[in-house]
Amino acid sequence: MKATWLYIGTLLIPLATDAADYLRDIKPVLKARCYACHGALKQKAGLRLDTAANIRKGAKGGAIVTPGKPADSELLYRLTTKDLEERMPPEGAPLKASEVAAIKEWIAAGAPLPEGETAEADPRAHWAFQVPKKMPLPGDAGNPIDVLLADKRAARGLKTQPEAERTILIRRLYLDLIGLPPTRAQLADKRPWNEIVDALLKNPQHGERWGRHWMDVWRYTDWYGLGAQLRNSQKHIWHWRDWIVESLNEDKGYDQMILEMLAADELAPEDPKALRATGFLARNYYLFNRTTWLDATIEHTGKAFIGLTLNCAKCHDHKYDPITHVDYYRFRAIFEPHQARLDPVPGVIDFEKDGLPRVFDNHLDIKTYLHLRGDPKNPDTNRVIQAGVPAVLSSFAPKIAPVRLPISAYAPATRDYVQRDRLAVVEAAVVAAKKELDAAKKKAATAPKENPKPNPKPIPKPKPEKPATAFEVKDDFSKANPKLWEVIGKGWKFQDGALHQTTATRDAERLVLRRPMPRDFELTCRYTHTGGSTYKSVTIRFDVTPDRKYANYVYTSAHAPGPKLHVAYERGGVNTYPAEGRVSQPIKIGTPYTLRFAVRNRLVNVWLNGKSQLAYTLPDRKPGGRLELSGFDATVAFDDITIRSLPTDVKLAQSKNATTRPKPANSVETLTAKLAAAEAKVVSLKAIFAAENLRHKKSHLKAASLVAAKREAEAVKAAGEYELLAAGKDAKKVKAAKTKIANAEKKLAAVAKGAGGYTPIRAAKKALETPAHKEAQYPTTYPETSTGRRLALARWIASKKNPLTARVAVNHVWLRHFGEPLVESVFDFGLRAKRPLQAELLDVLAAEFMESGWSFRHLHRLIVTSRAYRLSSTTAGADAKTLAADPNNHFYWRMNTRRMESQVVRDSLLHLAGVLDTKMGGPSVNPGDAVRRRSLYFKHSRDQQDKLLKMFNDADHLQCYRRSESIVPQQALALSNSKLAIEMSGLIAKKIEGEEFVESAFEILLGRKPDSTERQECLKTLGELEAEAKKEKKTNPAQRARRGLVHALLNHNDFVSVR
Amino acid sequence: MSANWFNSCGRVSRRNFLSDCGMGFTGLALGSMLARDGIAKEGAWAPPNGQPHFAPKAKRVIWFFMVGGTSHLESFDPKPALNKYAGLTIGESPHGDAVLKSKFYRKNVRDFAGVPRNLMPKLYPLQIGFKQHGQSGIAVSDWWPHLSRHIDDLAVVRSMWTTDNDHAAQLQFHTGRHIFDGFHPSIGAWAHYALGSLNDNLPQFITMGAPPRDCCGGVGAHGGSYLGPEHAGIPMSTNPANPLPFGTPGASVTREERAGQLDLLRELNGLAGVEYPNDAAMRARIKAYELAARMQLAVPEVMKLDGESEATKKLYGMEQAATKRVGQQALIARRLVERGVRFVQIYDGGWDAHSKLKANHSSHIKGVDQPIAGLLEDLKQRGLLDETLVVWGTEFGRTPGAERSDGRDHHPYGFSAWLAGGGIKGGIAHGATDELGFHAAENRHYVTDLHATVLHQLGLDSHQLEVPGHKRLEIDFGQPIREIMA
Repeated sequence: MKATWLYIGTLLIPLATDAADYLRDIKPVLKARCYACHGALKQKAGLRLDTAANIRKGAKGGAIVTPGKPADSELLYRLTTKDLEERMPPEGAPLKASEVAAIKEWIAAGAPLPEGETAEADPRAHWAFQVPKKMPLPGDAGNPIDVLLADKRAARGLKTQPEAERTILIRRLYLDLIGLPPTRAQLADKRPWNEIVDALLKNPQHGERWGRHWMDVWRYTDWYGLGAQLRNSQKHIWHWRDWIVESLNEDKGYDQMILEMLAADELAPEDPKALRATGFLARNYYLFNRTTWLDATIEHTGKAFIGLTLNCAKCHDHKYDPITHVDYYRFRAIFEPHQARLDPVPGVIDFEKDGLPRVFDNHLDIKTYLHLRGDPKNPDTNRVIQAGVPAVLSSFAPKIAPVRLPISAYAPATRDYVQRDRLAVVEAAVVAAKKELDAAKKKAATAPKENPKPNPKPIPKPKPEKPATAFEVKDDFSKANPKLWEVIGKGWKFQDGALHQTTATRDAERLVLRRPMPRDFELTCRYTHTGGSTYKSVTIRFDVTPDRKYANYVYTSAHAPGPKLHVAYERGGVNTYPAEGRVSQPIKIGTPYTLRFAVRNRLVNVWLNGKSQLAYTLPDRKPGGRLELSGFDATVAFDDITIRSLPTDVKLAQSKNATTRPKPANSVETLTAKLAAAEAKVVSLKAIFAAENLRHKKSHLKAASLVAAKREAEAVKAAGEYELLAAGKDAKKVKAAKTKIANAEKKLAAVAKGAGGYTPIRAAKKALETPAHKEAQYPTTYPETSTGRRLALARWIASKKNPLTARVAVNHVWLRHFGEPLVESVFDFGLRAKRPLQAELLDVLAAEFMESGWSFRHLHRLIVTSRAYRLSSTTAGADAKTLAADPNNHFYWRMNTRRMESQVVRDSLLHLAGVLDTKMGGPSVNPGDAVRRRSLYFKHSRDQQDKLLKMFNDADHLQCYRRSESIVPQQALALSNSKLAIEMSGLIAKKIEGEEFVESAFEILLGRKPDSTERQECLKTLGELEAEAKKEKKTNPAQRARRGLVHALLNHNDFVSVR
Repeated sequence: MSANWFNSCGRVSRRNFLSDCGMGFTGLALGSMLARDGIAKEGAWAPPNGQPHFAPKAKRVIWFFMVGGTSHLESFDPKPALNKYAGLTIGESPHGDAVLKSKFYRKNVRDFAGVPRNLMPKLYPLQIGFKQHGQSGIAVSDWWPHLSRHIDDLAVVRSMWTTDNDHAAQLQFHTGRHIFDGFHPSIGAWAHYALGSLNDNLPQFITMGAPPRDCCGGVGAHGGSYLGPEHAGIPMSTNPANPLPFGTPGASVTREERAGQLDLLRELNGLAGVEYPNDAAMRARIKAYELAARMQLAVPEVMKLDGESEATKKLYGMEQAATKRVGQQALIARRLVERGVRFVQIYDGGWDAHSKLKANHSSHIKGVDQPIAGLLEDLKQRGLLDETLVVWGTEFGRTPGAERSDGRDHHPYGFSAWLAGGGIKGGIAHGATDELGFHAAENRHYVTDLHATVLHQLGLDSHQLEVPGHKRLEIDFGQPIREIMA
């Protein structure tokens, strides 16, 4: 279709055309729109459109073109009909009018065949679908990398650059293998190259360096959620990170790593170390949508291990690759049964503190259906999809065989350490209860005999305290009085003659009296509630113990629905708000109040604005504690306060609750019950564990369950009995305790008749399947078998017959050594991935990798000992022809310069400054300037990322098969202005000793010596910086200048570059 | 660019680091610069070249976003029926079926918390009166006395809808995607990515105010996502002493020391460049340092308002406590766009009026009304409004029914946004909600239609902005709202 084009604005409008050219005008359209269904991969309706001859051949149902007669041609009808059921292509917009016109013209012209047109190749013949083979190399040719590259270069007349300077090479190697720059001594290492390589490969920091690379590929992310609610990934997923690092350090075969990541629960169900690997799957957990979760699992299992974009077949057959829509759901069926849970770890019972995230098959019989057009709301329920791998590569797929699991795997409560840890808790309670009881007994024996029965009334008159040594404290809060008060918290301000608490907080911001208080006292305080959020309380506490878990207090609250005056108390950190201690009061914001209260032994009287309000008897006292003033959710202004010993002649009103004095919680009787309850709990737990341990022996289980049920009910009853005693006259608590006892008795009666069971121990924590679920609705044990689907998948991926697995891995490793991959599309080795220029090299390395037992260490060694790896990265002095012929270095005639990844930038700064904390493993740490751990230990999630790392292209937690290397001004700002860079510059400068400061600084930071001009420039700047510092009267001007120089060198292009 | 470009200005005299020596930018984004310098792979897809797809109407955008959800009912979409039927339930009103049996009711919404939000059935009367304004006679609530004077410059879109009924709609409003779909490039990032720089000394996409919290998309609301962090909005504070992240070394490095360091750095990088004549990344990094240095000088200059007249400051309400903060941000926004910044995004928080709507909205509207009106006025006076697109939006509206006794809940079914300047037709109210202000009923627009409109005014076709490997859904692109274009 030769055309004359008219430009109108940016639109191109064809003015006139002549006959359409099939190759130029038609074939590209068909290729883009039709080949997916009518090409080499598939021939829907028996039709292929990939050559003109095939078009003429037609479909199963007959010809689709009638040469010379466009009007009779089915093809044109199908392209243009308004009937959407018939119109082709079925998806997307119809062909453009101009495209249809071209086809019409071509048919009208007799549908001529072009010369030498060949059909599309069979997709199974795709290069990446053939098992990689080592091509024979001449005898002792040396490193195959160099032999193969040299071959190709020779054929094109390309000349390599010389080997890089030794120090540059050593820096390159250190950064590559351990992610930290070498010290000056290491730069001067005279050992042979091989020895340095081997030493670095065995350095544990190598596992951290490459662990971070694989964390990119395998999508490591810490959890995120709302508050404690888990939404994505898993809490404590760092266990998987540690598995990655450790696996690399022990040079575990990659095949084994794949098996463990996808199916450790089926392969080694009793090995918690291996189970950590399934973090790879658990990481995909997504609370809100199971399909999103499984889609991520499918997509990234495909991309990470076998370089196939399975995700493209979610809604329809893959457009390019031989992966059908059904294949996608076969793959989904592999993962359909699995769920994630936290297993207990030894020594920790609280899953918020630690737990091992892992996967397991939970729903063995769940069915997988194909989602029509990828819509989960539209499943095709006519047909259950069976688990399997894509048909095109399925010839070597192992059979799926269910796996029987050991009891410890499906019933975590049977594990030794779980039982030990849980028993330890209840046994410790027994010890504590004993101690408490002993102390009470001792006290009872020495204390003057109390009336064994509670006194009807009145309570014995408290002995008057020793005559007042005239304790008196007065303060009008006109100014700070640090001798009298300790001020805790930032919200306190003196102004306008009052002390203001200006921030409404629930934190313990308080004023603490520095004087010891008498037992009996009288306090008068004038204050105003000035605002606040919810409770708006002003609280005066006394008898506060140093651990602040014991106190008695009086407070007023302006809380909207029920403002009040209240006497209350805290015991063991638990607050009690007795009804008898409460009086409703219309406390208002902005109104000044005068609160007065008097305390004589346990009796408290309270007045507000001079009016008597309340008399209340506290359960007990601990005189000698502190006195504190504070607000709770409130801002307050304190005007003045007077505290003095209570004169013996002041008469106090008796409280109504005085006669209802509860049995003290620390009486011998109560504590005996407490001990009995604690002991019963141990007996109960042991019985429950005995039953749990028989789960797999159904014949014994019934009897053991009954025993456990009985012991459990007894323990509950004992607990109830203790609680009844401890409840005193608290009606609510009494009622609860009585109900507890009654229920336990009912249960005991049932057990006596052989019915009822115990409450099983929830020793693992399953991640919720939807937000509507509650953990309690899940069983405490899990299926006794696993489907074996994931293990079969893993064996298929890790098979030496799988043509993709080794190639994909080798390509990732190569990319991270050379800055460029051998196959550009690192996660797509499908039909769109052209055979790479260095296909033979990739194959040799892949085959070698598998032969070595999938040893990454072997692969790294092979690569970094090659000559190609050691070439200089400069183009200076390069052969002009080479530079012109291969400017992008496809043939590796020089090394590529790379930029440090973000983690390497930060780690290097810390390392050079000598402050890097080399502790390995453990929970992820919050990002921040003060952290000194290696960057891979930072929390890294949707909601948390270190700011500095982010500037230098941190891994995208959703997908990061290859880091991008952006160059933006913000990076310059970060390196020149961040606190970290400035602080580290100072430390690095301090570490450099000796006369040759410039020389050393250059070597340490850039891995090479300065040339004479560079040295001069640096010296000149040093001098200027020092003069400047002197002028500004800075301390130690010389050192400050050195810091300045180091800081400048940190910003040198060659610092962040791996040359 | 010649291979030994640095020779053209190498060994420059000291103290000249910040001056241009012939290697400045030529109005391109750094990404496209790298492409030009051969960092992008030959034959492969290349990022945009900084040119619009067709003649643009607007060159820059100022985007106001009300975090928390502004009531459309008390702002730009008066519904007398709410007063008439106040106290009745939606079902008891004559419009019950139109609302509850609508094909849109609950169908589009993807519940953030996994369960649908309760319907707020009891109709709550309008908390403020409305008057018609301008020649167009469009009604605006009396809480907006300043902005209503500009009604003839505004195109109010009363038929926005979205699919998230919780505050992650803040993310959705900027990326077009529900948070369940993860993070995607924000509208500002797309503009930045497509068009790049108008000024080499300033970041091209700047945000002010507190962004959404992490629950709700966080900095994703101005994030670059897969376009890369270089296209993300740079948060800026209005404090001239330290406006940028890592914007100053603080007191620990003096200005003179920094100048000395930068001089040395330039010398050393130039010297190293001799060894690596073809290293495009090195050239880019040297430029990045220059841009950073210029930014450090230029950005505080923008924040310094000494040169602005008292009249101008007053126009923005800067002399009043209630309007000072936003007034300052709006004035700085004008100064930024004046200097060629492409996209300025201003967040204003606290609009989530579940209770006490009257107190909440009367005070929050007061906080933004005069500053935004002042900005429109100022832009107009300076002849900048023609080429500056001002957009005002919020993540959703608020329910026609009362929440508790005196609030309104989140309402994704229908709400308002407006645009002005930049080739937008003024004095137009486009689209409509139903009688109760519940569903967007006429000319419905999903949030990406607003994006497509903004991009269209910038001369961009959102369909032409796609990155290989990141397929976009049709709904991501949106449809430009042509009815409001001049």
